Amino acid sequence: MHLQAQAGLMTTYREPWRNRGVTGVLISVALIAFYCVLYWTEWLSPVAEALGLRNKWFLYGGLYSIGMIGGAAYMLRRHGTSRYHQVRLAVNVSIQVILGFALPYVMPWFEQPEYYFSYFWPLKYDALYPHTLQALPGYMAVWAVFGALVLAPAASLLFGKRWYCSWVCGCGALANTFGDPWRHLTPTSTASWRFEKVAIHASLVIAVVTTLMVVLGQTVGGTAVAGIADEMKQGYGFVFGSILAGVVGTGLYPILGPRVWCRNFCPMAALLGLTQKAGRFRIRVKPDMCISCGNCTTYCEMGIDVRAYAQNNESFTRASCVGCGMCAHVCPRGVLKLEAGQPLSVDLG
Amino acid sequence: MRIVVVGNGVAGMEAAQAARRQLPTAAISVVSEESDHFFSRTALMYVLSGQLSHAATEPLERDAYARLGLVRVRARAIGLDPARRLLLLAGADPLPYDRLILAPGSRARPAPWPGSDLPGVGSFVTLQDLAWLEEEIAPPKTTDRPPNEWAHLTSGASDSPYRRRRSAAQARGRRAERPVVIGGGLIGVEVVEAMLALGRRPTFLIRDDWFWPIALDAQEAGWVADELRAHGVDARTGTEVSALEGGPGGVERVVTNKGTIEADLVVVAIGVVPNTAWLGGVVPTDRGGGLLVDASLRTAVDDVWACGDAASVPMPDGSHRTEPLWYTARAQGRLAGRNASSPGAPAPYARGTWYNSAKLMDIEYTTAGQLDGDMWRFEEAGAVRSSTRIAHREGRVVGFNFLGRRWDHSVCARWIEEGRPVRYVVDHLRQAAFDTEFVLPLVVPNDRRP
Repeated sequence: MHLQAQAGLMTTYREPWRNRGVTGVLISVALIAFYCVLYWTEWLSPVAEALGLRNKWFLYGGLYSIGMIGGAAYMLRRHGTSRYHQVRLAVNVSIQVILGFALPYVMPWFEQPEYYFSYFWPLKYDALYPHTLQALPGYMAVWAVFGALVLAPAASLLFGKRWYCSWVCGCGALANTFGDPWRHLTPTSTASWRFEKVAIHASLVIAVVTTLMVVLGQTVGGTAVAGIADEMKQGYGFVFGSILAGVVGTGLYPILGPRVWCRNFCPMAALLGLTQKAGRFRIRVKPDMCISCGNCTTYCEMGIDVRAYAQNNESFTRASCVGCGMCAHVCPRGVLKLEAGQPLSVDLG
Repeated sequence: MRIVVVGNGVAGMEAAQAARRQLPTAAISVVSEESDHFFSRTALMYVLSGQLSHAATEPLERDAYARLGLVRVRARAIGLDPARRLLLLAGADPLPYDRLILAPGSRARPAPWPGSDLPGVGSFVTLQDLAWLEEEIAPPKTTDRPPNEWAHLTSGASDSPYRRRRSAAQARGRRAERPVVIGGGLIGVEVVEAMLALGRRPTFLIRDDWFWPIALDAQEAGWVADELRAHGVDARTGTEVSALEGGPGGVERVVTNKGTIEADLVVVAIGVVPNTAWLGGVVPTDRGGGLLVDASLRTAVDDVWACGDAASVPMPDGSHRTEPLWYTARAQGRLAGRNASSPGAPAPYARGTWYNSAKLMDIEYTTAGQLDGDMWRFEEAGAVRSSTRIAHREGRVVGFNFLGRRWDHSVCARWIEEGRPVRYVVDHLRQAAFDTEFVLPLVVPNDRRP
């Protein structure tokens, strides 16, 4: 079959489940209930055991993989062919199935700890705690430190934060597959942008301070410091790890779009966003071709008003952009292009 | 200083914003019969299909009038009294001006056939057309109504392009199932695509021998027709409509030179004309009704400028022409606003190389320059299907027509202006490539190069 470079016909989101109708709200309630049961009860453990899985977290990992595969198929069917999306989603699904499920499951067979190679600090907030690192084999500890402090920022400088947020990260991959039907629901107002900037950088500060306190508590600190650090660790895990990333982040997909966590609260997204601003990634705007239709802004899952840049002929880099590529894909005039080339100051002439 | 802008489309709003930049304290009023808010007319079909909300089509946030200090006047402009410098409004006091910027835009070319006033027959240009068409064919919505959609009724004018038509669906008690779209141009193909998104299989009547002959040749249009048919559209070329028939409940048949077609909805998309009849000839027009302006976009009437679809602008060859395009409306609006604010030092309207783009079903289209002269053509049908046509005269490129891939028209326009040889252009085509990442680049084998 011959394919156009960028295909995809007009679609519709008038279905109530995709447009905050009663079914949409019910899906949200069901997702929130699921996360509450997962985090704070053991009801899922017998189910996991009955399925032959080690514990409820592998049941969750399995459901996560199924949600992603189904969502990816739906996404490609709805938005048509695009090699960027095909390649990206294939990588997403492979990483989830291999690094996010299969590998951690089999590692104990080789007397290795269950380890998720695709998650780094500060998203995986306990990854750099001294006690965590000490408990790992040397190569894993090196990977955890190298990944968080060298690989992630360096790759973001080169390719933009999308290399992680839209290609590797499980949260981002779920948002771009299972969460894709609701991507147009992300608020795009200036007010939502203001909230995002305060919230996400506050999250980064809290994550860094908590980590430093825990490092202090587990190394030099006396009992008082260790006590405070322990409480901060618990509090951070509860608020960020369970409530914001899980219950709110995924539970509100059908209400506020699939990137509530990534856009407003993820400390890793904040860190990589700052790196991205200094790096080579940008969205290039073709001059004087924008018809201000609003497809790019509507389908930006991060709530960026892409049209505001496009209609002003401004190529741009926004810290929050996860480079999913949908703005470029839905543009009926082909105005936008993601690229990681020369910095913005270089005139491409 | 009182500046009045007629029309809050892209030309009018750009003019108002440019005037505001020049004159921070002037009183600037923007008159619109159609809508409270500036919206992107080119996006109406996405609202019809359900891909966008009404609010999403508004390029400025809804506080724009307040933020820019613009006075919103919701009224139908019905005439001009240039001696007393008054804009006449229906049902409201005349609006006095010191400088007047006319940006009334286009209206649909009226359907010329008997039966064109039947319920269930209409065009698709205005917000009110969208409201009508949604009622005819789209599933009902509970939220996201268009802004102030009924305000146009206060004028009570039956000849207004912003009147709300009767829907046949309401009388019939069910939505349209057999839509017919008449007119083989851009609006036609976009309405067809929106109807597909709504689960209908429209009949698409094209008068000419192929789709959009003003832009495409037979081979290119043949691909678009294949694409239409592959998606279930009954596309019929060489089909001339002679009458629309039906009863008091609405349209039932379209009579053509190639037989009669059952229909319960007819969208007429046979082009647009300048929306200037309301001026009653007070401002001189060209034969098509376009408001004649000089290079500074000034009309022959004192202190009156015109811009956008309704302005007939001077071309390099000395003729006057209207340019019903988004980007020219934007450029003209900016210029008219600037020149009306400082008429002592006007800037000229510089029409560069022609370009445009569109999406014809799945097929992206980019064009630049003039497509006459010798033709170099290349088609690929591998991982990507695309068609490239480059026109050249005496070896120098003069025009481009691309289907299937994305291209940067500004690079093509530069090549035309530089008079590059066609061989050079083909060798450097990749510099104009704008496809998304991972799309395999266009490769022209050596033996196919000019």
